[in-house]
Parts: sequence; structure tokens; C-alpha cells
Amino acid sequence: MKYDQSRIRNFCIIAHIDHGKSTLADRILEKTGVMQLRDMTDQVLDSMELERERGITIKSKAVRMPYTAKDGREYVLNLIDTPGHVDFTYEVSRALAACEGAILVVDASQGIEAQTLANVYMALEHDLEILPVINKIDLPSAQPEVVKGEIEDEIGIDCEGAPLVSAKQGIGIEDVLEDVVMKVPAPEDDVDAPLQALIFDSYYDNYRGAISSVRLKAGRVKVGDRIRMMAGNREFDVTEVGTYLPLGYSPKDELCAGEVGYIAASIKDIADIHVGDTITLAANPAAQPLPGYKPVLPMVYCGIYPADGADYESLRDALEKLRLNDAALSYEPETSVALGYGFRCGFLGLLHMEIIQERLEREFDLDLVTTAPSVVYKVVKTDGTVQMIDNPTNLPPVQEIDWMEEPCVDAQVITPQDYVGAIMELCQDKRGTFKDMKYIEGNRVLLNYDLPLNEVIYDFFDQLKSRTRGYASFDYELKGYVRSDLVKLDMLLNGEQCDALSIIVHRDRAYPRGRSIAEKLKEAIPRQLFEIPIQAAIGGKVIARETVKALRKDVLAKCYGGDISRKKKLLEKQKEGKKRMRQVGSVAVPSEAFMAVLKMD
Amino acid sequence: MCKPLSLYFHVPFCVRKCAYCDFASWPGREGDWRRYFEALENELKDWSEITDFGRLSDHYCVQTAFIGGGTPTLAPAEVLCTITDQSRVLFPFAEDAEITIEGNPGTLTPEKLAIYRSAGINRLSLGAQSFDDGLLESLGRIHDARQIGEAVRMARDAGFENINLDLMYALPGQTMDQWIDTLNAATALGVEHISAYSLIVEEGTPMAARVAKGEAVLPDEDAVNAMQRAAIDLLARAGYGRYEISNYAKPGFECRHNLVYWRRGDYLGLGCAAHSMLQNCRFHNPENLDDYLAGGRRPDRQRLDARDILEETVMLGTRTTQGIDFGLFSGTDPARLKRLIQADLIAIENGFLRLTRGGLEVQDAVVLELLEVLGC
Repeated sequence: MKYDQSRIRNFCIIAHIDHGKSTLADRILEKTGVMQLRDMTDQVLDSMELERERGITIKSKAVRMPYTAKDGREYVLNLIDTPGHVDFTYEVSRALAACEGAILVVDASQGIEAQTLANVYMALEHDLEILPVINKIDLPSAQPEVVKGEIEDEIGIDCEGAPLVSAKQGIGIEDVLEDVVMKVPAPEDDVDAPLQALIFDSYYDNYRGAISSVRLKAGRVKVGDRIRMMAGNREFDVTEVGTYLPLGYSPKDELCAGEVGYIAASIKDIADIHVGDTITLAANPAAQPLPGYKPVLPMVYCGIYPADGADYESLRDALEKLRLNDAALSYEPETSVALGYGFRCGFLGLLHMEIIQERLEREFDLDLVTTAPSVVYKVVKTDGTVQMIDNPTNLPPVQEIDWMEEPCVDAQVITPQDYVGAIMELCQDKRGTFKDMKYIEGNRVLLNYDLPLNEVIYDFFDQLKSRTRGYASFDYELKGYVRSDLVKLDMLLNGEQCDALSIIVHRDRAYPRGRSIAEKLKEAIPRQLFEIPIQAAIGGKVIARETVKALRKDVLAKCYGGDISRKKKLLEKQKEGKKRMRQVGSVAVPSEAFMAVLKMD
Repeated sequence: MCKPLSLYFHVPFCVRKCAYCDFASWPGREGDWRRYFEALENELKDWSEITDFGRLSDHYCVQTAFIGGGTPTLAPAEVLCTITDQSRVLFPFAEDAEITIEGNPGTLTPEKLAIYRSAGINRLSLGAQSFDDGLLESLGRIHDARQIGEAVRMARDAGFENINLDLMYALPGQTMDQWIDTLNAATALGVEHISAYSLIVEEGTPMAARVAKGEAVLPDEDAVNAMQRAAIDLLARAGYGRYEISNYAKPGFECRHNLVYWRRGDYLGLGCAAHSMLQNCRFHNPENLDDYLAGGRRPDRQRLDARDILEETVMLGTRTTQGIDFGLFSGTDPARLKRLIQADLIAIENGFLRLTRGGLEVQDAVVLELLEVLGC
């Protein structure tokens, strides 16, 4: 089809988790015929095994679909898939910036949820045309009219004629596509201006190198052009441009303003491509980059070590491979007395951290020991210098510290009214500062708190879930650093400090945390030949103590008739078990114990 | 030129399986008895000709033999004794060889005992297990407490001067009082040797199923240790010295055959599921009776290397109260041994390293530690 901006529709789908975004995307691919039914697997856009299993979308993707509308004209629809989780907010915002419209999927029985609102606000910020779609109308509990009213009242979007859909059963899909064609504005980008291509995603392809997924906001780009990354300030020669099929590439001679596609330029390192950056032509550069670029900064750090020290190289290779497709992952080598050689890794948030850990274990078959996550603390030293600390072990001695600051987030909790008390109590417990409370509809409340990030990464999610029986939803954004009375809490096993178990906590929290970690360690460390005292200490002062009693019975009563094979097997098993433990001084500590610091009652 | 050799004969027949038993033993196979003893005899003959370890009869002399089961005393005595007779024909025997037969108190008669004696069997090991009829029944034993005493008296009359009773503790529902009563009843019979085994619940046994269902409740480890300590003390007062984790004897009556296992002497196991160790090579016959009867023999031989030997020496030798040669530890880190000594888990005396009473209670863990000290 000939390039014609008026026939292009760039859109995304936004929804609360589980409201059916991926299923709707699947149906759209099917309906437009880019995916044959026999090729369809559930959640086609979610190709990572982990994504399918968790039902979440981790990386952004885009697909170009030809569609002949009821008006008899042929259109080009570009569906840009976006991640749904708060950890990936920045990636979502870049994906939205590449669109003119957004399909807002709302579950016909659940109605509006926290993420629905968060996503809508983000879409409005990008001036997107929002097309409400009521999904899951096949469910007996569906109340499409009520939900429509909710959307109109709460968001102020006209729901007259909003498609009623069952993505699962393929009902109403055509209405959605017609809406996209009729209501999403066509791009009005200047094809003759200097190139401005917004990078909304990047990933690594074994044959093409690091690839940028782009939306051209101005100009054109073709093979052989020399391009420049405006923020990254690097130049490359374009080797291929094209658009996306659901499961592959469709190379083109050229990409033009208003279009969505990819640019390959033999880029070896994914780190050279920054999501949010603008690509322009070296020969005829744009005067300004597109707005909104910000470097991705890890918010949560943890130490990742191979359970078997011999796997260090494999772990490094695995991290390197994951990093190829995930610019937000950072890692650098570190050494721990207790855990040996490993890496300090930075993540966007807890989910991101979990996903990386799981991918390392699953895709690379690695056995890992992970330390408790930490945030980055700011230490102002008495000599006036400032140090950023992402590993408690690196905290300077107390006498060198003038004061410390910790990162703080702007947190929003949306909850049914009944749980307001429980949530306020939780936020109070987590050293939160109350900011605001709004009734957003009938019986729902939006609570706004400032919370220290180190409390959020601790067990905030679990607590929130259990205290509200899963009804509340939570979103946060980094706000900045605030001064705080922080101390380093050390754990001593048989009198010896275990570096991998140290954490930084607020002084008021130190005592209960120390006690609870000591209790958890007592459960996690198996009895050994000797009694093991476990102590929690701040700067040499013991604040809590537990004891793992000495082993009392561990012997095979009988080796029958000269058959010593059982005894040998048992010995091998015990040896194996011991090998899987870390030696901290004279104490053997199982890998799980290092996560004990995290787990709370 | 006579190296000591021990023979083990496995007789895999019993009246019925006990609730805790996962040994190679089958009830209701009377029809196979004759075939089985023929097979044993043939295996013996084979061994008198096999030259893999040199011709055994040329440089070995049998010091101990043990006929275990199952319930060897269930088989017709004259049939059973063909194997001891045949052994003497094929191998040189020491004059004072210790020859043990294992038996169930419910299966003995004066006639059988007389035949055993005349065949040169001079030690009787009785599976008594308990003197509490309720516990005996719950274990699925085929005899009662009274029959144990009778069996001992019959054996004495037949001329047995070396008798062992196997006892079990840590049984579901067993009280300390019941255990002490059993120990007293055993010593009152004046036997020379007592084995006191803590119950091992083996997977797949009826006992394991009962425990899993909660029908049988096992005593906790403190209670088990208390029972063991009670046994050590009570038996010591009655004149039985503890020489291995589960074995006690009057002076001079330590079971020489079992010591061969702990001290890694050469032994040849014959019959189904029988294990052997000859010249640092381990092998065993098929576990299954039918496989054995079909002629299956020693599927694989595992040659032990220096590290295996050291490991076994520590693992097995520390089960005895004599312990192991302290010379093994020359050049190792004394600090780690010192820690074990200070915790009263090991003692070093007269060139031997042995486990203390407390050390024997956690022998597996101490062995692991000692092996680490030795660097294996």
C-alpha cells in the first residue's frame, strides 16, 4: 500500500491487569488477518515464556496490520503493546508517546480499577484519543451499563456507542476496529522536515544487532542513512528499516513520518539505544530532540550469586544476554565474604527484579543465592563529600557519616472504603506521611502518601494484599531524597558478621527488624554439631539474640548384613546438602536463609 | 598364610513380613527353599573356583560366618546345614570360627537347635525385639515374650554358650518404663550379647504408612536419646559393655562377624541381596529372589579408591567405641578437632580417635565434619 498518512492509525491498548488486554490484542490480530487462526497461540504478542505464565507483558512490541474498513478504504493500523506494571511506567509512557489513540479496556463486571485510572491519566497526558471498550460481556456478572456510567462519571469520557466486547469469544471485535479507524486521529507529521524518530522500545536480535522500535514524528529514513542518537550522541549506519509482523519483520525501502517500525544499524550494544531518545539524520539533524527523554535509573538493587561458585562465569554470561534485551537491567561484579563472587544488580522495581531472577534460573538453568533488595542511599560524609550506597556493606563507618538520606516515593493507593483504616495503619507502620485522601466514586477512596522506598520494597505489597484481601491497588513514583535517621543492622552468626545479611534500616525499625530476622534465621539454619548464637547488632551493640540448638540425634542405627550402601547414600546426601550451604565462619548457612531477611509474618 | 575371611549367607524366607521390615525376605515361598539352598551351594562352589581375587581357599581362612535373614530358622535344619557343611569342604575354617545363625523365637525346636550345634553353629542371634506382647503384636512379630525365654532355655539346653537378643526402641507408643522392662527381661535371661536398635521407619513399609496417617506416633528425639542412654547405663550395670552404636556384650562376647563390617575386613556374601567386600572391591547379588534364583549374580563391582577407603574407614570405624586410628589425622588442622573435643563429641586416647556418647548420638554429622577435616 502506498504511503498515505491519512490512512495510518497508531494506537495502543490500556487496561487494568486481567481486564483482557492481551486477549483483545490476539483477536485484533486474528480479525485483520495478519495472524492465521492456526498460528494463534494465546497472547501472541507476549512471546516470552514468563510473560505468558504470569499473564503480563514485560516489553513493548508493535504490529502493523492492514485493514479494510466498512467505508471501503484500506488502512494501516499500528498496534503498540505496552507493559502494564508500575515498574515499567517509563516504558509505557514512551509507547503512549508513539500513538494518537488508546483503546481503554474495562472489565464489564470489575469496572474501573486503580491501573485503569493511572493508565488513563497517562494517556491523557499524551493527548491520546481514548476509546472505551467494555470487555467480558459474556460473563454472567457483567454490568456493561453500570460500568459505562462509571467511566463517564469518573473519567469523563463519553461512552455512548462504546463497543461491547467479549475478546474471549470474539464478539464485537469489528466494532473496535471501526472505532479505531473513525476516532483515532491520523498522524499529521511533516515528512519533509529533518528526521525525528522516537525510540519506544529496543531489543537485541542475533542477526540484526540491537534494534530500535520507532515512531517517526518527522522526516524519513532509509537503508544507508547515517543516523544519530540525539541523547546518546552516537552515530550509526542504517542497515535495515521495516515494519513488524506479529512474529517477524517486514523490511521496507524507507520509513516515513507517521509510521511505526524498526531501524537496525549494526549496533552491538543495547546500551547504545536509550528508550525515549530521538533518532535523527547526521547529515540533516533536527534542531530539537522530541520531548520526554529521561535515562532509566534502577531503583532497587540486590546481590545475585551463583549457588555453586563454579557457575560465576555462566551467571555473568547470562546477565550479559539478558542485558542485551533489557537496557534497564544493570549489573557489576561484587564480592561477599559469605557468598563469594557475584553481581550487584539494579532493577526498575521489585517485579523487574523477580522477573530477572526467574529468567536467570529458568532460561539459563542457574541456581542462585539472592540477597535482600536494597535501595540507593545518599550518604553525606563529615568531609562534605556525598556517596551513593546501593549495598549496605559499603556504608562508611558511622563516625565518617554526617547524615544520610533515603529515596522517597509518591504513593497512590486506591481502595474500597472499608479498607481505608487498614491501609492508613499500614502506611503509618511503614513510616508514611499522609498527603491526601479523595473519594473517587461511590465507595472508593484514593489515598496519597509519601513513603520511604525501602519500606515499599520490603513487604508492603504482601501486607497491602493481605490487609485489603487483594482489593486495593498501588502505584508509586520516585519523588526524591529525604533526610532520615538510618542505621546499618548487622547479623552475627556464632559471633561472626555475615556481610550478605546486613541491611540499612530506620533506627525506629531496627529493633523489631533485627528480632524478626534473627527468628527467621533460626528457622532457616539447620541444627549443626554446635550451638549457633544468632545476633542482630547495630554498630557492635547487640539488640536481639536467638540460638540454633545443637543437633541432638543424627545416626543410622543399623547397617544390615554388611550392606553399607544406605549409609553411603545418606553420607553423599548430607555432603551434597552441605555443599549447597554457604560457610559463614564455622556456620553452614543454606541459600534460602539469605532471603529470610525479606520474609515477614 | 591365612587371611581372615567372613562369610554371610542370606536366607530370604519368613512367616510374614513385620511392620517395619524392608529387608529382602518373602513369606509363602516354602516351595523355593530346596532350590534356593541348591543355588547357595552352587554359588559357594563357584567361589571356590573364581580366581579374580586369587583362589580364596588358597590364602583365606574363614574366621566368622553368619546365616541371616529373613528367618533362617524357618527352613528345615538339615537342609540349611548343607551350606555350613559345604563351606567347610570348600574353605579352610579357623578352629575357633564364630558361626552365627539368626532366628525367630517362635520357630525354634530342640531338634533344630541340636542339628545346628552338630553342624558347628556356635552362636544364636534371636530377634526378640521386645518383651511387651502389645508392642510385639503391633510390630507384626509372630512370637510373644514368653517364647523368647523358652527359646533361650532351649538353646542353652542344646549347648549354645553365645546368645544374642535383638531389641528395638523408639517404637510408636513405647514408654520408657516398657523399654526398661524389656532391657531387664533380656539381661535376666543371662544372654551374652544384646543389640539395641532404634527403629528406622523405612519408606514403603506398613509402619511408614501408619506414621504418615498419624496412626503411629514416633517418640521425639529427646525421648529416643533418653531411651538409648537408659540402655547404655542399665546394660553397663548388668555387665554389658557398649562396643558399637547399637551393640553391647559381656567381655569377650563382642560379635566378631559384625566387627568385620565396621573394621572393613574381607567378607563374602552369598545368596540374594547379599553384599560382599573383598580386597577393597564391593559388590552384591540381585535384591530380588527370582532374579537370584534365575542365576543373577554380582551385577557390578565397585573398586574403591583411596578416598573411598578413607571415607568408609571413618564412617564405619567411628561406629565402634574403639574408634579409628588417630594416625589418619596427622597433618590436619588441629583447631577443628579441638572444637569437637571441647564440645565433648570426640575423644583421642591411645592412638585412637573415638566418638563419645554424645558424639555417637550425632555420628552422621560428626563423620561429615571429620571427613571435611581430612579433606574429602
